[in-house]
Amino acid sequence: MARFIAEREKHNQQEQTVHTSLQPNLEEIKKLFSYGVNKDFSIRTFNLFSNQKKACLCYYSSIVNGKTINEHIMEPLLQNKGESISNIVSIENIEKVNSFSDIIENINSGKAILFIDQSETAYAMDVADFQHRYISKSENESVIKGPQDAFTESLNSNISLIRKQLHNHQLINEGIQLGERSKNEVNILYIKDIVNDDILNQVKNKLNQIKVDNVRNIEILEQYIEDRPYSIIPSVLYTEKPDKATSYLEDGFIVLLMETSSACLIVPVTFWSFFHSPEDRYLRFFYGNFSRSIRLICFLLTTLISATYVAVSNFHSEMIPPDLLLAITASRERVPFPLIVEVLMMEVAFELIREAGVRIPNPLGPTIGIVGALILGQAAVEANIISPIIVIVAAVSGLSSFAIADINMNFTVRLMRFIFILSAGMFGMLSLTGAFILFFMYAASLKSYGVPFFSPMSPHFLSSKDTVFRKSVKKELFRPDYLKPKDLQKKQKKG
Amino acid sequence: MGNRGYLRTQEIFAMALIIISIKLTDSTPSLLAQKGQNGFWLIPILSFALILPGFLLMIYLLKKYENKNLIELFESILGQWFGKLIGFILFLFAFFAMTLDSRNYVEQIKLLYFPETPSDLIFIIFFGIVFFGAKKGIEVIGFTSWISFFVLNFFTFLIIVLIWGDIVVERIYPIFGSGLDHLLNQGYQKAAMFSEIFFFLIAYQAAKQTEMFRKGIVIAFTYGFFLIILFYFIYVSVFDYNSIQKLAFPFHDITQYVNFGSFFTNIETIFMIFWLIAAYLKFMILLYAAGWIFGTIFNIQNFDPVLLPLAFLVVTIGLMPFNSIMNELVLRETLFMIMSPFFIFLPFLLWGIALMKGDLRK
Repeated sequence: MARFIAEREKHNQQEQTVHTSLQPNLEEIKKLFSYGVNKDFSIRTFNLFSNQKKACLCYYSSIVNGKTINEHIMEPLLQNKGESISNIVSIENIEKVNSFSDIIENINSGKAILFIDQSETAYAMDVADFQHRYISKSENESVIKGPQDAFTESLNSNISLIRKQLHNHQLINEGIQLGERSKNEVNILYIKDIVNDDILNQVKNKLNQIKVDNVRNIEILEQYIEDRPYSIIPSVLYTEKPDKATSYLEDGFIVLLMETSSACLIVPVTFWSFFHSPEDRYLRFFYGNFSRSIRLICFLLTTLISATYVAVSNFHSEMIPPDLLLAITASRERVPFPLIVEVLMMEVAFELIREAGVRIPNPLGPTIGIVGALILGQAAVEANIISPIIVIVAAVSGLSSFAIADINMNFTVRLMRFIFILSAGMFGMLSLTGAFILFFMYAASLKSYGVPFFSPMSPHFLSSKDTVFRKSVKKELFRPDYLKPKDLQKKQKKG
Repeated sequence: MGNRGYLRTQEIFAMALIIISIKLTDSTPSLLAQKGQNGFWLIPILSFALILPGFLLMIYLLKKYENKNLIELFESILGQWFGKLIGFILFLFAFFAMTLDSRNYVEQIKLLYFPETPSDLIFIIFFGIVFFGAKKGIEVIGFTSWISFFVLNFFTFLIIVLIWGDIVVERIYPIFGSGLDHLLNQGYQKAAMFSEIFFFLIAYQAAKQTEMFRKGIVIAFTYGFFLIILFYFIYVSVFDYNSIQKLAFPFHDITQYVNFGSFFTNIETIFMIFWLIAAYLKFMILLYAAGWIFGTIFNIQNFDPVLLPLAFLVVTIGLMPFNSIMNELVLRETLFMIMSPFFIFLPFLLWGIALMKGDLRK
């Protein structure tokens, strides 16, 4: 019953419209925003110069630009004549509002509301100035050759970064309001004459189905829209680079942005979107493909080298050349643990350094190097807890994992590494190969918004064949057909 | 079943190729060499020549009766009950071929890499993995086969390059081995070495267009046949007939024989990895096909749950033969002898009946 009443009150409040006289409006606003208790809520009352009516301006002083209010709202209202408000103030964006629910939403999103005595309309004027970091260099997905700027925690700046690269009037930026208590906007970016409408509608439906109090940022949103929350393989691409987002937009993918995150989401995904880096395309044909092949090797090394070492030295030691075998045995002579325990210890140690390295405060940073390198490496070897070869194996496996820039895929690979090590410990290559093929088949069975994970390689689709290797830029003639874009052919001059 | 039209020529080709050409890695060559001696590498040619017309006829019939898979084709030509009976015989063949073959593969793994481990354990692990793979459906198996095709092919040819120096072509003489009549006899009896291709016909409707299926399977059959001949030729010219009779698994002996420079002398485990991938895929395809055949006979739309009991039966029955010699030389050979006439003559029977019924004039 109590809940019912509360809901009804809430309902009434939202339906309430603006009163004709100023005083009840002011009362209502003061009640709604707890004026006086709420320190940064400001109300400014004054008389209009044009008709000498009383008026009042309400806003959150912390999220508006005071200078704009002074120059473009207050000064004109106090000094200029004009027939209507929109002819007096010189603000870019002015909107008439009638209900208090709209007023609440507008004030929360950084607008100033102007009430005028004897008027049933209030005016919402956009003076928002949310504080944000300035655009800086991309730190987590750095490239040597290519644009360096990264998204920042401001929707306008982010969209500006994308529009700067894509001068196309078909690039649409659509907003959807999310959240029941705190309304946050998610912006869907796509190119209208390329994107597939089915996929676009699926994305919109997914967004509309989210019924929660608050979706704070894109990182939370990612978990609301992904297909399989418990899957080890990610189904949404997360990037902080505007140039990467733009290149996906051009191919018909959909980009999601929010005000509060310095990154965007890209859907749908394939394996290749996690594997590629924008730099592959900025580098010349051979250099780009060389770096791809290195990355492929890193991919295999990081997932399989520790597991292979366990399998080979436990079950297939005959394949190790005799000299090397003797070296391995000699180094393991004084180590008490079974090999698999050694490998697991070292891998966990590496993960420790990694996790601690992310969390450690900057001034203490160098400490981690000393602790990691000396204690976990050298001292552990000297104390005969692990053999030196394991240090090399774990280091190679850890180092290679950094070649996979995408943070989601990085976790996939790091987790799979442990599963592979355990399976290699059971039946050597028999179970390792089995675990690998099952993992591979699991990946192949995934679909993101209907797009199979390994397309366009298998199943085959018409595309620019940008998979493990890419073609020369001049030979990329098609957009990926697995997205079923409206325009498949990239417009290019022949020859 | 899991068919959303994503399979194309290349996936069908890769799957069919795996189930045919993996015959070159198991004990089939030594089975043939028991009677064929030096000339055993010619036996598949005759088997191929005997099977090919029937196989092409089946493809032709499937093309004529559109929108039908293998069992539905039997039913519409032979009538519902007789068609189902023939279908069930086919299922039994598929099942026993899979069971005896898998025992064979388990023995290979045990003998070569895990001599201490009991067969039961290897069998359970091997078929456990096969079961989970088969559960993913024909499309995923197809994608995986095609993506691994390049790697598998690369390592197949790497073996040829590495063994090249040890080939003594003169070892194939006398060209007909123990005699032409033996070869002809064996060629007929062992025609069922290509029987897997018939089981795979159940997937006729799986491809995006049936034309893609026809193209893929025919190319795979031909290419697989050439690979088999090539490898059997290599076996006979590397080992000669005396040793090949005694070698159970010539493919693995070759991988143990080759080396990569003087430092990497034992590289068989590398080949074993890719052989295992192919073996897993082969049994995934066979298990799925057997389940599919079973499902179609008994009108089970969603036959996924059938796969687990099937896999369980394969393991239990596969473990029954007392030892691998028994499994190999008696049971597998007997199965070949029963299956061969079935696959050689059945297509002609079907074609004849269809022709008499007048179905082919459409």
